[in-house]
Amino acid sequence: MSANTWLATGNFFTTYKQEQRTFLTSLDRTFFTFFLVILFGWPLIFELGNKNMLVIDNILIAIVAVMGLNLVTGFAGLISIGHAAFVGIGAYTLASFSRTLGDSHVLITHFWPVMIILSGVMGAVFGAIVGLPALRLKHLYLAIATLSFQMIFEWTIQFFTFFNQGQTIYIGRVAWLTGQVGRKDHYLFWYFIILTIVVLLGFGIRNIMKTRYGRSLVAVRDNDRAADAMGMNPGLTKVYAFALAGFFAGVAGALHAYVYRGVGFESFTLHESIGYLAMAIVGGLGTLNGSFWGPVAIKFLDLQVESLAEISGQYLPSGMNIATALKPLTFGLVIVLFLMFEPRGIANWWRITKSYTKLWPFRY
Amino acid sequence: MSYFFQIVVSGIVVGSIYALAALGMVLIYKSSKVLNIAHGQIIAAGAFITYFLTVTVGVPIFFSFIASMIITFFLAMSVERIFLRRLIGEPIISVIMVTIGLGSILDGLIYLTPFGSENFSFPVFLPQEPLSLGGVSISWTQLVGVIITFVLIGGFSYFFKKSTVGISMRAVSDDQFGSMSVGISVPKVFGLAWATAGLSAAAAGCIIGNITGLNFDTLHAFGIVVFPVIILGGLDSILGAVVAGIIMGLIQQFAAGYLDGNFGLKGTGDVMPYVILLIILWFKPHGLFGIHEIERV
Amino acid sequence: MRSKKSLFLNALLVLVVMFAFTAQAYAGGKVYKIGMSLAITGPTSDAGNPYSKGTEDYFKFVNDTKILGNDTIDCTIRDDQYKTDVTKRNFEEYLEDGIVMYLNYSTGSTLGLKRDFDEEKIAVLPASYHAGNLDGSNYIFLPIASYSDQLVILAEYVAKNNKSGKAKVALFVHPSAFGRGPVADVEKAVAAGLNIELVEVVEHGKNLDNTAMLKRLMSKGVQYVISQTIQSPVATMIKDAQRLQLSASSFGEAGKFTFLGAHYTGGNDLIALAGKAAENYFWTTGFNITSVKGAGTEAQLALAKKYGRDQKAADSHNYAAGIMVAQVVTEVIKRAKAADLDVNRANLYKMLNQMNGGNAYKPYSTSGPVSYSKTDRAGVDLLQIYSVQNGVFKKVGEPMQSEYMQKIK
Repeated sequence: MSANTWLATGNFFTTYKQEQRTFLTSLDRTFFTFFLVILFGWPLIFELGNKNMLVIDNILIAIVAVMGLNLVTGFAGLISIGHAAFVGIGAYTLASFSRTLGDSHVLITHFWPVMIILSGVMGAVFGAIVGLPALRLKHLYLAIATLSFQMIFEWTIQFFTFFNQGQTIYIGRVAWLTGQVGRKDHYLFWYFIILTIVVLLGFGIRNIMKTRYGRSLVAVRDNDRAADAMGMNPGLTKVYAFALAGFFAGVAGALHAYVYRGVGFESFTLHESIGYLAMAIVGGLGTLNGSFWGPVAIKFLDLQVESLAEISGQYLPSGMNIATALKPLTFGLVIVLFLMFEPRGIANWWRITKSYTKLWPFRY
Repeated sequence: MSYFFQIVVSGIVVGSIYALAALGMVLIYKSSKVLNIAHGQIIAAGAFITYFLTVTVGVPIFFSFIASMIITFFLAMSVERIFLRRLIGEPIISVIMVTIGLGSILDGLIYLTPFGSENFSFPVFLPQEPLSLGGVSISWTQLVGVIITFVLIGGFSYFFKKSTVGISMRAVSDDQFGSMSVGISVPKVFGLAWATAGLSAAAAGCIIGNITGLNFDTLHAFGIVVFPVIILGGLDSILGAVVAGIIMGLIQQFAAGYLDGNFGLKGTGDVMPYVILLIILWFKPHGLFGIHEIERV
Repeated sequence: MRSKKSLFLNALLVLVVMFAFTAQAYAGGKVYKIGMSLAITGPTSDAGNPYSKGTEDYFKFVNDTKILGNDTIDCTIRDDQYKTDVTKRNFEEYLEDGIVMYLNYSTGSTLGLKRDFDEEKIAVLPASYHAGNLDGSNYIFLPIASYSDQLVILAEYVAKNNKSGKAKVALFVHPSAFGRGPVADVEKAVAAGLNIELVEVVEHGKNLDNTAMLKRLMSKGVQYVISQTIQSPVATMIKDAQRLQLSASSFGEAGKFTFLGAHYTGGNDLIALAGKAAENYFWTTGFNITSVKGAGTEAQLALAKKYGRDQKAADSHNYAAGIMVAQVVTEVIKRAKAADLDVNRANLYKMLNQMNGGNAYKPYSTSGPVSYSKTDRAGVDLLQIYSVQNGVFKKVGEPMQSEYMQKIK
């Protein structure tokens, strides 16, 4: 179907199918393709060091996790204070294989795409289990169910020797067509993999939100009684939202395990859960592009504050306390200020910019 | 038998301290339906203020205890005024997230002081010898803690039942629009709820700080430790918090006293509350004393 | 987003200033880069904070007093808030900066990055004395003998000094790998003939009242409680014991508990938390502490004074621990230079491995010489036992090495 060239000047859809297209205009598609080419191409031209690649990988993993969180908290309106635990479920699924089969078993090193999906599925299963109280519970009580899941997860990991009591469980290096991915290319390799996954999952969310399965989430968030009257089952929809979020988290967990080549419980604590929530909020709840903005903004801020703290630490006499206090202080301030002044997050700025440039310079 | 009674007494003592720590959260939830994640930080702040006044400034500990309650009273009130007032009417998740951000800000502020990463303990002001009754012993610190807990909780209950302000707080928790229409200032009530919560948090902080010593990690963890208590109690009931606190204290002590060391179990005292929490959520989600909202579609 | 922009501008400005400074300061001589990542905020920051100060001050001292001649050490210290992810990021960045040695902190991150250390062939000194750090790794060097050594030494001390019959001992451990790790080694030592009876291993939580536990242990006849955790839970426990009038007034008093503990349970922090209840608490570590005066502690206090640290930091054993790792780093660089070797990872690693026998290094901060070899990668093998007398830690006997640890290895 040829793209609608008149779209910029108004809504000219004649069928629902037209409205549901992924790219509304050919300009959109060109832009997006161009953007993807840049995303995939730049590391081949500019060589960043391992540290920066690690930071970028980390952001991308956070994006995967936050996309999931955005589904359950943003689209379905259910607060999850245990998202890191779901990420942990994914990571520990992989770790369990590593524990039973050895860290460089062929299943882990060669069939890693299968393992990633499997981890996602495990995340989904646990998501559904934790979401089960949603059949009876509402609002805050559900949030607390996720919080207690977080606590029980942390305790379980630290208690059982099978999980190495929370100590690092190693994951071997993966193999690619060209052989084993060595230390030098490790982060670059995973950049491409995670980026691919982000793109796939991003399209996944975008498409799911156009189907009844996605719309039911929003319907239940906005008014679950009305949704019930329309023939949806609010309880089951919530369970399904948790499962979906669990899947994303599980995938993120497996990726985390692969990139860091090990699983330790420190990466899946309540603190991390709160971090994910902060990312989702700063990015913009209930938007897809918010899931990208949030992690980028928070991690970037983190790095900036860190270097600022370091510099001030060098020049202030014994000023370590002042310097290190900056980090929690700015993190908290950013969350609070966003909620107070821009509750729709960075996604809203994006929307404003987009609508501004769309008609520029011929505004009406 | 004295072992059994000792465990019962310890359970009640620990439980009432839990109740006091939980009280602040219940107060805030009761009036504004907000779960305050930053409660642990306020508990820690209360304890540190008392220490600062007692040791650095040199105020007698009794007065600094009172003074720290007053300071946190206004601290929490201004927190509400600055950060939360704007969010009245916003979705609950935003407000919870604000308290999370608030916790982080308080973390940062406490790290600015030596309290963030050093250890302290209150000067000794109570007799060191324990009170002993038929083989059951209880320390003065604990006894005073329990008394303060019950005085405060009793005071708050009375306040809610009888005083005009207390009744207006209950009215707001029941129906915001309704109470606005009869002339109750909802923002004022919220401010007051936060302030009283801050006051009780300071008291809890001082008592816990006396028992564990002043370590920031340990103190602010109590904001999370009391979650099972408030869920069991039903989130919005003061009586519930007391009963649930004591039940949790007893469970913890009995788990530590009878389960640990037998059957190859270890550290059950810490996880039992959460296991019970999950069971409660499954079978009695609104807690022992919580209000069961009935909705009809 | 104006605030962020101005933040960025500020950062840029400071950066420029810093460059101007560093360019001046480091003119002439070589600069050796060291990286350090530890928890200055977040969990365990009560230990990490003075630790970082110790390292920072000692390297400053090295540069100011020209211990390495015209060469200087540039040590970047970063806060990782006890998060392994951040530690890894810091480590990767340090690698790009071209560090020659790396100083790490927590048990979790040391284990998590173990493989990276081996792949990068870089010597690492962590602040975690977990014996498991050494398993399957050649590049991790514990500054002092492991927690296992510490617990076994305490158990040996109990076995030797217990008056009547077989001593009944309970272990009080942190509910994590850090706490549980050494338990197996103590059990092995008992199996190898150490004359104590291990009655129970208790994992503590955030308990406000340990009455139940203490009474239970008492009823089982336990007389000694050896802790492997952090200070705060120990403080709560010994306060409870004091309240129940169950704490011994001298070592091994019958019908009472004598409390003992490993490196991270003790120090001035414990006294600060527990007050009078800390009296008669036995603690082992490999560092000198300022309450036992000596040439080493004088030097430590002078260093703290020189760089304007407060008394609390100056007296902290973690400050000494921070100095110690910096001293070891300085020493190996010095030795590499003396041997006319390039100061690089491989040579420093070699120098560390040669640090034994007559070559052992005796820094002022430790209770014994630091010795490393291909097979022994724990630095100070001689551990000193201290006990609290009148509110300060005092020496008990001379530094000693664990017998049974060698037997069970």
